[in-house]
Amino acid sequence: MRVLISSLGFGVVTAALVAIPAVAFTLQFSVTNILNLALGATMTLDGFAAYVVNRAGLNIWLALVVAGVVGAVFSVIVNLLVFSPFARHGTKLTGMVIVTLAVGIILGNLLQGVVGGSNFFSYSWDIGSTISFGDLALTSTQLITVGIAVVAMGLVHVVLRYTTMGKAMRAIATSVPLAKACGIRVQLVANLAWAISGALAGIGAVLFFMDTSSFSATTTNGFFIVIIAAAVLGGIGHAYGAMLGALIVGLSTELAAALINPALKDVVAFVLLALVLLIRPRGIVSEVSSEKAIAA
Amino acid sequence: MSAATQLYVSTLLVYFFVDLIAVWSFDLQFGVGGILNFAFIIFQAAGAYTVAILSLGPSSTSGGFQTYVGGWELPFPIPLLAAMAVGALLSLLVGVICLRRLRSDYLAMTLLVVSIIATTVVTAETGFLNGPAGLSLIPKPFSTSLGLGPVDYSWFFAGVCGVVAFLVALLTWRLVYSPFGRALRAMREDDVALGALGRDVHRLRLMAFVIGGAVAALSGALLAEFITAWAPGSWEYPETFAVLTAIIVGGRGNPLGVALGALLIMVGVQQAVSYLPTVVNGDFTAALEWVVTGLVTLVFLWKRPEGLLRERRRRFGKRTQAMATVLALPSEGEGGIPDAF
Repeated sequence: MRVLISSLGFGVVTAALVAIPAVAFTLQFSVTNILNLALGATMTLDGFAAYVVNRAGLNIWLALVVAGVVGAVFSVIVNLLVFSPFARHGTKLTGMVIVTLAVGIILGNLLQGVVGGSNFFSYSWDIGSTISFGDLALTSTQLITVGIAVVAMGLVHVVLRYTTMGKAMRAIATSVPLAKACGIRVQLVANLAWAISGALAGIGAVLFFMDTSSFSATTTNGFFIVIIAAAVLGGIGHAYGAMLGALIVGLSTELAAALINPALKDVVAFVLLALVLLIRPRGIVSEVSSEKAIAA
Repeated sequence: MSAATQLYVSTLLVYFFVDLIAVWSFDLQFGVGGILNFAFIIFQAAGAYTVAILSLGPSSTSGGFQTYVGGWELPFPIPLLAAMAVGALLSLLVGVICLRRLRSDYLAMTLLVVSIIATTVVTAETGFLNGPAGLSLIPKPFSTSLGLGPVDYSWFFAGVCGVVAFLVALLTWRLVYSPFGRALRAMREDDVALGALGRDVHRLRLMAFVIGGAVAALSGALLAEFITAWAPGSWEYPETFAVLTAIIVGGRGNPLGVALGALLIMVGVQQAVSYLPTVVNGDFTAALEWVVTGLVTLVFLWKRPEGLLRERRRRFGKRTQAMATVLALPSEGEGGIPDAF
């Protein structure tokens, strides 16, 4: 029982860590129709940006904000310089996924070249006291992580549901030509989607690197797979689906780690993914259309 | 030639032949069939591990420094053939799960996930294939019975790889320029239309995937026999990207083109980078290879998505030509590869 409760607690923390980048991945996909395989490398970049300012003496929570800004700016720049030109050049879905993987490999290796492939780093911050709820003991950092994830998800909900921009995003996600016909500036909204996704990726990266306590230029590789699993599980392109997916992945991986074998954490996420692909190839709540155009 | 040069040239030749087999198998799936198999490298790895297990002998005889499942000492062609069977079976398993009605980019992403998960599992399960250290001391076929020195053996093995590559070339040309190849191309361009014409698209896709997987395993098997070691570090997902780049540069769907791509990218770029002086540190030089590969891909996708040698377009007779005009199909020589990417 004790193991069960504590792994449920860790599961919620993992869900929070996964949910932020999973929503980033899925939200940007729903608007632009581009599967951004460079997200993992972007997170590494953001995480290291936070590392630089943190080591220069900045508080970790401010460094987290810096990572968010770096992520947003970088994502918009990459969209303006690479993805958007390729889309206008006539590159189709298959080509686009090669382009995003190429960008991810270039960025990831540049970072590896600069910081070294196997050097490990860690932020400096006060991990805080441990707070116990009966059998469950969590650090204050873990609680703050969950808090940030809840706030971020709430903000995404508010933006999507109650703002004109969110309405425009949902319109583009449904149909690009119709959105254009309604006078929505597709390019502008797409760039905003890239910015939101980049900011979430940056925040998610710093929280993840704090959770792993030490990180290298390749740490996000395995984590990115869990992010994709959560996004696909929830039905790709659906922000709420990604949150649900993150919760399922978080709880099941932590339970499996506690009850079976810690090394197989990521494998459990994969088994879930395989099951979903077998039963509902497009995720729990999703509708991925091959006719949809790229908006960039 | 000095012994060192001979060893260098023959080793390069082995790599080139292995790369040829790899690009042809990947091109059958991606270039001809339109399946962007981001998990390509795991099928190569499956072949390599199969050869290792089938020629190393039982795990206990190696003094217990590496642990793995099974372990037999089978003579030369059997491990290679078994590797192909394992590659085909693994492709069938992955194909049955992933190839169902998924959009092309979505499928590619799913296969990327499969690739990374496979690396994770093999690394984590140390009893399965010796974990992160991988398998080493894989015996080279005929090395004891022939009694050749290292240089002569290297030439001999290059010859073996050359023969296998030639056989794979025969198979590739036969498949690519056959009714089966035409059906694959049609599937790549418009699978709904092909389905409407009565072809079983899912079965076709699975066939291309399984044949490609078997041949990919063969390339990995030869490589493992030559370098005598295989570890998770040899088959991380960027390796797939190198093969993909060779195909994009050479010309997807054109066996001769992708062979050129293999020469330029997989042999050329890799060798060129290894000659660069170590500017910052070793990691930087290694990373540079991938940065260059990624940039080359982007440049080609932008400037010349059909590759250096464009896919051979079928020549139509007068009657089909007329029909094409009626149906407003692109006639010979017009346009590139419609909707290729």
